[in-house]
Amino acid sequence: MSEAQILLLLSALRALAPLALALVSLVAVPLIGSPRFGAPLAAATRARYLVVGLLLLSGGAGFVAGAGVTSTLSIGELTINPSQPGRLFVALGGPIFAIIVAVGQGRRAGAMGQVALFGLAVIDLALAIPVGLAPITLLLIGGTSLAALAAGGKEDAERARAVFRDLRSAGVLITLTVIAELLRASIPLSATDPAYATTSSLTAGVALALSLIVLASVGAFPFHHRLVRMFDALPIVGSLMVGVWIPAAITLIIFSELSLLIAAVNEPMGGAVLPILVATGAFTMLFGGVSALLHDDVGEVLGFFAVGSSGWLVLGLAAVITRPSTLAPHELVIPATLVISLFGVWRAAVRRRYDLVSLQELTGWARHTSAIGLVLVGVAVAMVALPGSAIWAARAEVIGASGSAITVVIALIGAVALFASIIRVILIGLAQKSHVVERTEVRRVTHPVTLAMLAGALLIAGAAAGIIDVESAASELLRPGIEATSPPAELP
Amino acid sequence: MSSIGLELPLTIIATLGAALAVTSARRGAWIALIVTATAVALLEFQPTDTLPISLVLRLAAVFGAILVALPPGLLTPQALTHDLAPRRIVSTLAEHPVVVATALAGLLLGTIPLALPIEGSSTLLRSAGVALLLIGLPPLLTSRYVEATARAAVVTLSGALLLRAAILGPLDALSSIIIASGYAALLLTGTAVAGQLTKAEES
Repeated sequence: MSEAQILLLLSALRALAPLALALVSLVAVPLIGSPRFGAPLAAATRARYLVVGLLLLSGGAGFVAGAGVTSTLSIGELTINPSQPGRLFVALGGPIFAIIVAVGQGRRAGAMGQVALFGLAVIDLALAIPVGLAPITLLLIGGTSLAALAAGGKEDAERARAVFRDLRSAGVLITLTVIAELLRASIPLSATDPAYATTSSLTAGVALALSLIVLASVGAFPFHHRLVRMFDALPIVGSLMVGVWIPAAITLIIFSELSLLIAAVNEPMGGAVLPILVATGAFTMLFGGVSALLHDDVGEVLGFFAVGSSGWLVLGLAAVITRPSTLAPHELVIPATLVISLFGVWRAAVRRRYDLVSLQELTGWARHTSAIGLVLVGVAVAMVALPGSAIWAARAEVIGASGSAITVVIALIGAVALFASIIRVILIGLAQKSHVVERTEVRRVTHPVTLAMLAGALLIAGAAAGIIDVESAASELLRPGIEATSPPAELP
Repeated sequence: MSSIGLELPLTIIATLGAALAVTSARRGAWIALIVTATAVALLEFQPTDTLPISLVLRLAAVFGAILVALPPGLLTPQALTHDLAPRRIVSTLAEHPVVVATALAGLLLGTIPLALPIEGSSTLLRSAGVALLLIGLPPLLTSRYVEATARAAVVTLSGALLLRAAILGPLDALSSIIIASGYAALLLTGTAVAGQLTKAEES
């Protein structure tokens, strides 16, 4: 093997490490379940250990390989250039999903691990290719396929309907992506003839189409139903990956695309996109926060919490349009994802320990299982974040860019309601223990899985709260796509 | 590929196929979708001397996914003769006058330049694109049936891609691969979910 071939192999390994590990799981998970590796009854446990190992490896590979020229793979005209945000998603996502799979201990832990592995690989790959049609489409189809994989194996009508909703929105959003690409590519041509649509109206069209993709993906009001039902019906790994992590990657791509677009266009953008986004963002936070406070089902509380948190991203969209040079909205994406994921860790732990979905039946859970209680305290700390940290500055900049006092007030009430929804669950946990909670067997705190959960919760909360600096790595602008294809020959 | 020679018949076939794909019963709809996907791919990639790899990938993805999704016994000559009989096609379309009217309106609307820099582009491609978008979107947004929704998604996406191709030409290699896998994912997920839903409702 020549030196050039060795270098190519190394860059391929560095560039495609998460994907390679996901592909390894396709062979390794069924293999480890075979009788030659142990008793058939313990197959699910072996699969769980395996996928936890692979997820940790994937996270480690994302961290070690990093982004940069040594990880860039060029095959013909195709360049796969891992981005910092992509690698950050993998480096954080690997351990987080490993904890969820380990804590959940479900019968389908192997399949759930594969959902997480492939989800992280798709995110890494999508953020490694130039922004535009291809990465958004890749994430949308990846999301739908993973939702189907997560829902499989159980004849549950609610699960199937949740995937059906996702399929429908993927069909609409991929079409919308093509239309956005078409309008974006038409902008340079619009100056060639006054009869064409103006640059400002085309820019508004692109902004509207891309904003709709973000609104529907992250589950902002009025597109929240899909996300809430997903959290209610799908396993936690699937709902987090499809409802939170993949939409977060889509949001980062669209932030980058809009930053580049708005910065390149000299004319002011037409239409009412901006006020719509500002109003939607603020109302989404309020709606999500109040709904999370009022619901009793744990899945729905988490779903509405995710909806409310997405309000920050919608306000971030408005901020990108107002100030295309700002990186504050980019810095909010990872912390928001981490807070919801930590809430997901809590849900997986509660589900595993109590197998209950109603908060009324879960009274006293925190007194009975204090380790799980600490995870939710971590969520509350992560939500508030460290005063004076970069996250507070980013939030202030995003909310300030809205330019409306009413919006600021509504968004702040929404943020308080979201925090209150967490405090409410903690208070329920500190109340008198219910009979079911009282009877539930408790695992000792020194159990390896409990220790891993606590250590993970500490790290996730630290990263989300800005104590560990991760958000700045997500603020790298993604690579712009190749400029619009050459205009038709007949154009003047 | 000349406009009069192939684009016109392909446009008509794609539009007719799309209308049947969203209105026919299960087996007929799958056949119509195969026809539509083929016509759309030929219109989009415009093969001349050589067969573009993107076209081969697109057709392989769609045909492969439909083969998995097909109900058993679809490809028997008897079934095909039954579903492709002109009388049956006409009666299916006659039962859905709104879809036919939408298709015709789409074809007409596509001939009008929509203030985008598209005067230099192919009118027929644009017409087919707008028609497919208008045919596919309503069932994609409203249908209660999973497989019908997946087929409507394929029709709508095909329309958007035709509209794009009318102005910007065919997709680049990477986007083409991803879109081809998107078609396959939509169809396969639709079939899997439909099966899961049926089993869940039966049990």
